[in-house]
Amino acid sequence: AVRLLRRPKSNTIVLSGLSGSGKTILFYQLRDGSSHQGTVTSMEPNEGTFILHSEAGKERKVKPVHIVDVPGHPRLLPKLDEFLPEAAGIVFVVDALEFLPNLRGVSEYLYDILTKASVVKKKVPVLICCNKTEKVTAHTKDFICKQLEKEIDKLRTSRSAVSDADVANDHTLGTPGKTFSFSQCTNKVSVGEASGLTSKIADVEQFIRDNVKP
Amino acid sequence: MLEQLLIFTRGGLILWTCKELGNALKGSPIDTLIRFCLLEERSGSNSYNYDAPGAAYTLKWTFNNELGLVFVAVYQRILRLLYVDEMLSMVKREFCEIYDPKRVDYNDFDETFRQLRKEAEARTEELKKSKQVGRPANDSKKQGHVKKGGADGGNKKKSEATGGSDDDDNRAGYNKLENGHSNGHHVASDGSRKLAVGNGKENDSVNVGAFDVSKLQKLKNKGGKKNDTVVSDSKGSKLDTKKKATKKNRVWDDSPSQSKLDFTDPVETGSENIDVVAANQGESMMDKEEVVSSDSEDEEDEVGKGSAPDSKKKGWFSSMFQSIAGKANIEKSDLEPALRALKDRLMTKNVAEEIAEKLCESVAASLEGKKLASFTRISSTVQAAMEDALVRILTPKRSIDILRDVHAAKEQRKPYVVVFVGVNGVGKSTNLAKVAYWLLQHNVSVMMAACDTFRSGAVEQLRTHARRLQIPIFEKGYEKDPAMVAKEAIQEATRNGSDVVLVDTAGRMQDNEPLMRALSKLVNLNNPDLVLFVGEALVGNDAVDQLSKFNQVRFYAICISWSCAFHGLHLWSTGDVVGCGQSYTDLKKLNVKTIVKTLLK
Repeated sequence: AVRLLRRPKSNTIVLSGLSGSGKTILFYQLRDGSSHQGTVTSMEPNEGTFILHSEAGKERKVKPVHIVDVPGHPRLLPKLDEFLPEAAGIVFVVDALEFLPNLRGVSEYLYDILTKASVVKKKVPVLICCNKTEKVTAHTKDFICKQLEKEIDKLRTSRSAVSDADVANDHTLGTPGKTFSFSQCTNKVSVGEASGLTSKIADVEQFIRDNVKP
Repeated sequence: MLEQLLIFTRGGLILWTCKELGNALKGSPIDTLIRFCLLEERSGSNSYNYDAPGAAYTLKWTFNNELGLVFVAVYQRILRLLYVDEMLSMVKREFCEIYDPKRVDYNDFDETFRQLRKEAEARTEELKKSKQVGRPANDSKKQGHVKKGGADGGNKKKSEATGGSDDDDNRAGYNKLENGHSNGHHVASDGSRKLAVGNGKENDSVNVGAFDVSKLQKLKNKGGKKNDTVVSDSKGSKLDTKKKATKKNRVWDDSPSQSKLDFTDPVETGSENIDVVAANQGESMMDKEEVVSSDSEDEEDEVGKGSAPDSKKKGWFSSMFQSIAGKANIEKSDLEPALRALKDRLMTKNVAEEIAEKLCESVAASLEGKKLASFTRISSTVQAAMEDALVRILTPKRSIDILRDVHAAKEQRKPYVVVFVGVNGVGKSTNLAKVAYWLLQHNVSVMMAACDTFRSGAVEQLRTHARRLQIPIFEKGYEKDPAMVAKEAIQEATRNGSDVVLVDTAGRMQDNEPLMRALSKLVNLNNPDLVLFVGEALVGNDAVDQLSKFNQVRFYAICISWSCAFHGLHLWSTGDVVGCGQSYTDLKKLNVKTIVKTLLK
């Protein structure tokens, strides 16, 4: 009887990340296998429930996935809160090309996501997806991972300092005292690569398949 | 010629671009438009100017809120194309017929677009030709030629304008265009009479403003009698537009052009009027010459009233039925009462009028044409949209993490400099002390700099605070140059290793030019990391003016000081610190949701 009352496991995957990181392109790659005529800055989320394009032809029964692409524009940050509670997995898209200039913004956004109550409580897995890897000067995922860990370490101290005035972040991250690393998070954080424009999205699809069980 | 015309969804996918207009756009005008205009709740305004190295574009747009589509046209600013609004609405109409949410490529639209473009261009050609006839009349103000050709052109334009689907938008569009254009032309026509295009266009724009042929004829006759035909004609329609735009333009008499130095967004107040500035310049020049043709103004009124029955009269029963069934399309006339009520509510909460107006326009633009969900009334839909818009505006564009910045500056072995500015008596010194206390609590070493060398007691005040907080203070007494004092203070801080320098400045009124100049000298000389504008919550509509003038100096965040109760909050802030009260601990962070709730209560 208890099992019946429990809500069915969600099939929602949230695509998040800074504006310009390539979420909308990824969305359409997952859905249609092509990036069509290109995109502009999204003003509203893109939502869809569909079978991944790459799995469309397969015989075995595949469960449709509900994918939400939340705009990265800072003004639209509250939209993220609408979708995070029901997420079974979060894909955090990072622009591997313009990584260092945006390092602070990226790490702050990631920090915000990792410390949200719904994410911590439900231990929602996060995939840090380094996008635009087809470009020659794009950074590697290991480099990005290390840089993010360093920045989040700094953020931990400064953010927790404001917490008594007004709690902006619901939880603190990692173990205090030790330098932060993604392995300290209670939810699983993994790193992957992708190239939206050239349809190399295997890491993302694997992540989705792993977390949306049929 | 159009540079480009795009159709994309609100979610960001480009559905169609014109392949014939192959020129790649320089810079990223579309993205900038979205980031700085549409997402800033300025979608109610008419056009947006974008400058990139090597190009100066103007962008115009229209929405289809029902389907969630955006149509944007980009063209070179110097061209001043007049058919853009019309073309956008025609493109919108045609495209929405073939739109299907599942489809992603619309190559067949190329053909339709080609035809539409030909039509639009042909029409402008005709207009230009007819203008050529009336052109000699404009050249010399002494001749009082009858502008017959002009009148015909006016006729045609009128029928087209009414033919377009978005009547109001078009008219408003032409009015605004005209404002901008007339300004340029006043300069041009004096200078070079050779610019046939220029003069022709002035005529064009003048006639566009006139909606009634009879009124044109009236002006024609007047023109025959008076000597300055051109002036009075453009004056007539100028007054119309002035009348229409009066509400927005009243305050901004001398607002200078917005420099690109400001990175904050409270400039929704300051630069909200980037496109209206052009209108301003035209107007103020007009103001100097007092040729008032009140007749034409009255005519305009009558015409306006005559064409008002576009608002359909709905019976009570049918409106109830529709609210339940939820099939009605929202139209502008439906939105008006609800928006007006909301606007009044905002103004009673001390929101400046222009801002409330702009917000309402933007909300209207985003709701027009949408279908009402079932069981919802219009007022609740409007309320929800307004809440959405307010949350969007108040969500800060950049997060200001001062402690992070302090640490970053520390690594570079430089002190983090914060300058407090504001008008007299708003609480700069008090808030400075509060911020110092907060920083001290977080193990940051602070130093104060007393650069208010004007007000008696300012230095002593800071000295007292410094003594209580036990932090060093740098002072040079009174009657010294604040910029130099600040510079020396920063050097001292570098020497003794303070992490943060808090600089107090003298209060000054925003329209006191020499003082504002002194302030900008201080800011430019010392290049602070953060300039905090301290504003008083009770200041009312003046806040808009204060902000815009202080904005030119450059600031990044706002600290609002509340000298008493909770309900006076201004819609200009993006900063996230609120100081309320006199004691050190009275510093609170801004919670966006609370504010929005308070505003709309």
